[in-house]
Amino acid sequence: MRLLVVEDTAALAGQLRQGLSESGFAVDMALDGEEALHLGDTEPYDAVVLDLGLPRVDGLTVLRRWRAAGRAMPVLILTARDSWTEKVEGLNAGADDYLAKPFAMAELVARLNALIRRANGVSKPELVFGEVRLDTATRSVSRAGAHVRLTALEYGLFAYLALHAGRPVSKTELTEHLYSQDFDRDSNTLEVIVARLRRKLGEGLIETVRGQGYRLQPASA
Amino acid sequence: MSGTTPRASIAARGSLTRRLAALTALWVAIGLGLLGWYVVRKDEQQIETATDARLTSLLDAVVAAVAFDPLSGPILLRSLADPEFERPLSGHYWQIRGPGGTVATSRSLWDSRLHPPLPPAEGIRARDMDGPRDEPLRVLERDVTISGRTGQVPLTVQVAVPRDAMEAEITRLRQQMILAFFVLGSGLVAAVALLVVWGLRPLRRTQEELVEVRQGRRLHMDITAPSEIAPLVAEIEALIEQNRATVERARHHVGNLAHAMKTPIAVLRNAVEAEDLGTVRGQVATLERLVQHHLRRARAGALAGSAGAECGPHALASALATALGRLSASRGIRLRVTGEEGARVRADSQDVTEMLGNLMENACKYGRTQVLVTVAPAGEGLVGIAVEDDGEGLEEGEDGVALARGMRLDEAKPGSGLGLAIVSDLVGLYGGSLSLGRSARLGGLRAEIFLPGRVAGGRYEGPD
Repeated sequence: MRLLVVEDTAALAGQLRQGLSESGFAVDMALDGEEALHLGDTEPYDAVVLDLGLPRVDGLTVLRRWRAAGRAMPVLILTARDSWTEKVEGLNAGADDYLAKPFAMAELVARLNALIRRANGVSKPELVFGEVRLDTATRSVSRAGAHVRLTALEYGLFAYLALHAGRPVSKTELTEHLYSQDFDRDSNTLEVIVARLRRKLGEGLIETVRGQGYRLQPASA
Repeated sequence: MSGTTPRASIAARGSLTRRLAALTALWVAIGLGLLGWYVVRKDEQQIETATDARLTSLLDAVVAAVAFDPLSGPILLRSLADPEFERPLSGHYWQIRGPGGTVATSRSLWDSRLHPPLPPAEGIRARDMDGPRDEPLRVLERDVTISGRTGQVPLTVQVAVPRDAMEAEITRLRQQMILAFFVLGSGLVAAVALLVVWGLRPLRRTQEELVEVRQGRRLHMDITAPSEIAPLVAEIEALIEQNRATVERARHHVGNLAHAMKTPIAVLRNAVEAEDLGTVRGQVATLERLVQHHLRRARAGALAGSAGAECGPHALASALATALGRLSASRGIRLRVTGEEGARVRADSQDVTEMLGNLMENACKYGRTQVLVTVAPAGEGLVGIAVEDDGEGLEEGEDGVALARGMRLDEAKPGSGLGLAIVSDLVGLYGGSLSLGRSARLGGLRAEIFLPGRVAGGRYEGPD
């Protein structure tokens, strides 16, 4: 899952990048509103973490411009301002969630997972594919009741396919959503990851659709 | 949190002293001018009347002494007492015309003649004419008929005195008047200017004291001001006091916060050294609570100055419903706002949003399918805003616990647990109240806040 994190305080930005990367997100950083506007307009993000007090262009303006331009990715506002007046303003400008500083990284991750899940029309946190279960809230995968250890990239790829289950997902799309902007992209590594996932979760789970990419069959409850 | 208020714009324009002096000068010039003109005019008339009276008696004397000699014409039987009539070209003349062009004159006329009289008419006629030396004369004429030896003879008698004296007197009078009125007028204007300067002196003193207060050279305004200015000084003094109290409170507040933070910081430092993560987490949580608490207090402190604020709770609740609808979209909770759209409550909109936000968030958290907000008049100049949900509600006797600061009734639900306590604090600051009960319509919790206010067209009756 690829995230845009817009935060101008260097220390917090570093912590966010580290914490979110450790949780399996591909993270792009923007340090001011202008950069955020540009990245949000050009890159396909699965969610955005947006600070409100930003240099150049403030967060609410960035959000309004995205929404006016039809950018629909879920946006979570992360700010020290926590009065209801400000929450209402942020949410009614088009934000999907609001988290006040100080916050716990675990809560941010949980809320982002929920936002991404909801944005893809999945209401329950747990997705089931036969004997494989994916819990988006805890970011854990189990096979036949046994926990399966996945790397961040493995989890990200599997979760992306799971959230878009039923339709083939191209390698380009996967690359765009799995790697941050400054990552050296190599589609061959995707094949390696898929091969590892098949080994860990069962060969039949991820189909290769010739010329179109990979597909996961829809979840059944 | 609150927006910055624009700085007062103060610009001096014109001067009170100059304005009043100019007004007075204008009035004095018009008033004294008219008065002076009137007085001079009256005096002129009086002088003319006096002159005419003297002329009349001279005329009478001439008429009394006139006789007609058929051979030589009119003659004066007795000469007049005034020797001026004997001195040639003195300006004092008399002249009598008889029938057939016969004329008798005073010696002073010498061989000159006065202008011929006006056509005969009843009574005495006064006129101004030029004499033999072209000197201005005041002349009285009268037609008389005397009985002579040849019967009744019509005569015209003219008596003249010089106007010079009269006119000199009038000119002198006019000059004196102008001088007097000018002095009086200047004096008046100067007096008004002085009066203003003197009258405004208390204001100047007030200003000087204010400067001293601002510079810290004195603590209070203490001047004995006239009754017009005393209230202003009292208000300024009250403002100074309020400012001082605010600063004092802020200082107190910051001190409290700083001191309250010292202990957790000390513990943190040791815990970090010992790499005791559990203690670090606990202390960070304590610090967060402290900051949260003091932020609320600061917000509440700002209330003291926000008198006169009012807002419409219906619109605020609607905005909140939209926002909360986004937050709880996945849970499918329906938020509705009903009741008096025109209701106004006397409270800051941010605070009302804060109260309603907390109540409505709680309702969304605990409700199952719907949340209902109702704005309605609550009698006695109060507006009630009820937030109801269809959740479990509170058990009997739990409301006291719910209101206690930091208490959470259901530890499993997320949230800081401060919600109801904050609402209770805020509503108290506005002289309102919070009540908790069971919703008759939805079966869950019914939390209602009462704030001073009115529905459309109503009147405030809430406490000031």
